[in-house]
Amino acid sequence: MTQVKVLREIDPSARVSPEAKIGPFCVVGPHVTIGPGTTLVRRVCVSGHTKIGSNNVIDEGCVLGARPQDLKYKGHPTLLLIGHRNRLGRAVTAHIGTEPGGFLTRIGNGNVLSDRAHVAHDCYVDNDTRIGRDVLLAGHIRVHDGAVIGDLVGVQHFVTIGRHARIGPGTPVRRDVPPFTDFYSKNYDWDEPPAVRGVHQYGIAAARLDKEEEKELRRALSELFEDETALQTKIEQLVNMGVEGAVAELCQFVQRSLQGVFGRHRELARGKAPPEAELYLPPELKTVVRESIP
Amino acid sequence: MSPFEVGEKMPDISPLAVVETGAKLAEDVRIGPFSYIGEQAELAAGCVVDNSVTIAGKTSLGENSHVYPMAVIGAAGQGQTDHGRCIIGEANTIREHATVYCGKGRTTRIGNNNLIMIGCVIGAGASIADHGIFDNCSHIGPGAKVGNYVRMSGFATVCPDKAVGDYAFVTGYASVDRDAPPYSRVQGSPIRVRGVNTTNLKRCGFEDEDIRAIKGAFRELFNGSGYMVDKDVVSRMLSDPNPCVQRLAESLRGELAGGVGK
Repeated sequence: MTQVKVLREIDPSARVSPEAKIGPFCVVGPHVTIGPGTTLVRRVCVSGHTKIGSNNVIDEGCVLGARPQDLKYKGHPTLLLIGHRNRLGRAVTAHIGTEPGGFLTRIGNGNVLSDRAHVAHDCYVDNDTRIGRDVLLAGHIRVHDGAVIGDLVGVQHFVTIGRHARIGPGTPVRRDVPPFTDFYSKNYDWDEPPAVRGVHQYGIAAARLDKEEEKELRRALSELFEDETALQTKIEQLVNMGVEGAVAELCQFVQRSLQGVFGRHRELARGKAPPEAELYLPPELKTVVRESIP
Repeated sequence: MSPFEVGEKMPDISPLAVVETGAKLAEDVRIGPFSYIGEQAELAAGCVVDNSVTIAGKTSLGENSHVYPMAVIGAAGQGQTDHGRCIIGEANTIREHATVYCGKGRTTRIGNNNLIMIGCVIGAGASIADHGIFDNCSHIGPGAKVGNYVRMSGFATVCPDKAVGDYAFVTGYASVDRDAPPYSRVQGSPIRVRGVNTTNLKRCGFEDEDIRAIKGAFRELFNGSGYMVDKDVVSRMLSDPNPCVQRLAESLRGELAGGVGK
């Protein structure tokens, strides 16, 4: 067998683990860190201040850490952090953060991002989510643990997707999706906006709640979303009854969404650093963020 | 001096890039590794071409354009091998995985200062004016015409040979299957006019008076129906004192005469 010279361009100042596999035609920029066991299959471009953890598989044509598409970005070296055990399909794109959005885009651990999915600036994708093909996550989105997003879903900026929620394929998401719910549009009817249309059974199973807690949660979900009128009062009633666990989480989530702009809670933090930035940013950048944005 | 004339300084081309002989590159062009520049391509001063980009066909790229990784410019149609012409203006940003086709016998034109985001497809013979923003995965069909300061959201489509007026906003997932009027906000498939794109008009420095006049005209033209144009109203608006309303009426008259918008 003949060994052909492998064409790739890895900047000498990039910190690539010797146990990482970098395939042909990959381009790795100067400020990139790649952990052990990570595979860049072929034709992957990693630029910007990007840190990739261990045991990720990044498939052909992915472009990670490019400049955000936000016009407010002024060129500060912001970050993209990718955790461990993620699987990124073909042509997945993820951008670095912007200055007014908290300097950071983060993809957690154990996520599956299918082909052509896009994670825009200042998004926080938590752990074990499943993101379908051609999914567009606009800027400043938070996707909580275990959320399942179907193919061709477009998510508007500042949306929060709750824990173990499911979004049906082809749904335009314009407001927060509560945890454990099934959210989709009906028959592609443009006059009827997508809404919560049920319970995400697999999500509840995956959350491994106690039997009693699960029963309470199912009751709360059907009570709240069977008919969405007077959601505020229904939640207040539930809270006054003294709920805890998953139901309390659900109530808090919906209450926050109701306080937000057009049902998007994170919109209130527009132009400010989000709380997650404080959590995940490296210490040297925290002071920069605190000084530059409130 | 022609912007394509080669001076003393050599362009910064990665040794791993392929540039065919005959390609005209200005002296401060930057080309990343694994990019391919075809023999009939012309790149003006200040162009930055990142890695793994293909620029084929009779493509000319204006000054200070930036092409991001994996984009394809001047692609021939599916299954075709002969490339047409593709003229791209100044200061455009073409993001990752975007594709700009060049037509056989018809020229694809892109104006200045456009932002074409990830995965956009610009069909053969399409023409785009200036200052447009096209969100991810928006498709502009072959032969479509797009005006100035147009905003398109994710997954929006302009069907072949249809037009989008100046300052219009096409919402996500919408499919422009009839001409979208200028200043409008259109939604759905088939498209319906949902109102005036006030935010964009304010950002573009329109006077409050003009915006009010446009809103009044829209109320008269499209109220309740989403998309129904009354010929009498349009002809009356042609002599409206406000130039913006006149422009709106003129574009709608053209559409009525052309038989589209049924």
